[in-house]
Amino acid sequence: MEYLIGVLLPQLVHGLVFGAALGLLALGLTVIFGLLGVMNFAHGELYMLGAYVGIAVIGVTRSFWVALVAAPLLVGVVGALTEVAALRPLYRRPPLYGLILTFGLALVFREAARQVWGGDMRRVQPPITGSTPLLGMTYPNYRLFLLAVSCVLLLAIWLFFTRTRAGIVVRAAVEDAEMLDGLGVDVRRVFTLTFAGSAALAALAGLLLAPVFTVYPQMGVEMILLAFIVVILGGMGSMGGSVVAAFVIGIAQSLLTLWLNPQRVAIAIFALMILVLIVRPRGFFGREGVLE
Amino acid sequence: MSRLGGRPALLAFALLALLPLTPWMSKYALLLAFDALLFGAVAMSLDLLMGYTGLVSFGHAAFFGLGAYASAVLLQRGVLSLWLGLGAAALAVGLYALVVAYFATARRGIYFALLTLIFAEVVYTFFRYTQTFGGSDGIQGLPAFELLPGVALDTPARNYYLVLGYLALAWAACRTLVGSHFGKVLVAIRENEERARFLGYSVQRYKMVVCVVSALLAGLGGALYPGRAAYATPDLLLWTVSGELIIMVMIGGLGTLAGPVVGGVFFVLLQEKVSSYVDWYFLVVGLVLVAIVLFMPRGLVGLVDGLRPRPGTSRLGARRAAA
Repeated sequence: MEYLIGVLLPQLVHGLVFGAALGLLALGLTVIFGLLGVMNFAHGELYMLGAYVGIAVIGVTRSFWVALVAAPLLVGVVGALTEVAALRPLYRRPPLYGLILTFGLALVFREAARQVWGGDMRRVQPPITGSTPLLGMTYPNYRLFLLAVSCVLLLAIWLFFTRTRAGIVVRAAVEDAEMLDGLGVDVRRVFTLTFAGSAALAALAGLLLAPVFTVYPQMGVEMILLAFIVVILGGMGSMGGSVVAAFVIGIAQSLLTLWLNPQRVAIAIFALMILVLIVRPRGFFGREGVLE
Repeated sequence: MSRLGGRPALLAFALLALLPLTPWMSKYALLLAFDALLFGAVAMSLDLLMGYTGLVSFGHAAFFGLGAYASAVLLQRGVLSLWLGLGAAALAVGLYALVVAYFATARRGIYFALLTLIFAEVVYTFFRYTQTFGGSDGIQGLPAFELLPGVALDTPARNYYLVLGYLALAWAACRTLVGSHFGKVLVAIRENEERARFLGYSVQRYKMVVCVVSALLAGLGGALYPGRAAYATPDLLLWTVSGELIIMVMIGGLGTLAGPVVGGVFFVLLQEKVSSYVDWYFLVVGLVLVAIVLFMPRGLVGLVDGLRPRPGTSRLGARRAAA
């Protein structure tokens, strides 16, 4: 019981918190994959930009909350511009080109960030301090806030995709963009706005996690692989699957660190993914459907 | 003779062989030329998969880096023979490649790419955190190879000729392979996997063989690296290196063999030249890559037939088929 409350439970909640934030990151990735058939390698850099733009906004306004609104919007604009300027010309080409293009964009974003903000590690002060007694342990308030915000956002995204016309149009575009085009929807605008939204989500995840992790130009590289794993585990193009898989990976990772060193944890997660790819490549929920 | 590229290739190799004799090739320039030719050759090995078989390997750095570690471990233990280093690299990379190829070739498209990527990350993580192999510092301060007992490859010029010889042999091997019946079957698989299967070819076996051959070529190239650099670090195995190799192939032109060599040389020189003037060279490299994808999809040399969607399927359709 001591062990349960003192060790297992905090780690479990850590996993939930991390999983929820990872879910935000993976959702954008999986929607873009559904739309463009491209694994967006620059997604991790949009996540990184979110943290840095957030820091810049905090520097000007002295408010984390303003940054939490402004940074996703600004990065969303970057995403929209990127889509129009670089990705749009590639829609008629095989997906490999998109993959390589986003790899190039990732290099550009990462290096630009290093030039503008420097290469050293930065920390963001959590806007909420203190901790709360919870189930016999005390837990930092900011992490609880992070968990709550992420869950509310995930719920809001789910409502958007199931209850609003715009959300249904995006799902239709994921399903069959040509058909949607034939039905008179401006598919190009849908693509641009979806990409912008996905970028904004990544930026939000970046800034939300900034007080928990450190901020540095390479931070996206490490997250993006995990996000890929989540997307594949959940089933490519399946948003519900991504969220479930994000929690699975988040919890698995934080629980495994109790018994294994980080190297073994990473290898265990890779092994899990190799297994999924071999045995069930469409992941947990990957069929044609988008929201299971 | 035409199978091996004919006169243009012979001329190119002759000129490359004369290069160290020219007065402006400093030691620094020779080492740069070593890197350029080495990565050109490794990119060429990747082209066997990407260009000819239509398989995008996102884990080629692991083959290269594993080869480098294999020979570095021997050098560190005082085994200086180049041939033993190459043998160890071939053994290690061959076994690893068999495992990867067995699982990865069972899947197609993006799943193949991701499986190779994840396997490579396992190797990276292993070397990055294993203290026996120096952890994140890698294996440093290695001596030079010996071609024969007492004949050390300890000057830039000797190393340059070593890598040139490797490039020539790899070139001959790739040309022979591509020109053979085997190579034609690979192209058939690239163009239409189902049809190749219906014609009675064991598609997966062909894919496995070409994966292992490509990996071995990359691994042997990697084995040469510690002899020149005196180190092997986990950074050689990082997935971004795999990405850079793909970039080299794309810059040069898919499915041309000569193109990726040119692409590799171009990439190494670009990175070196730009980084000697500014410290934001990755920005330039990234922009060049974006520009090439957008405006020059056929690369410096080649054609992109293999990656066009099959007739009758849209982009989305092709993706479904791959899934």
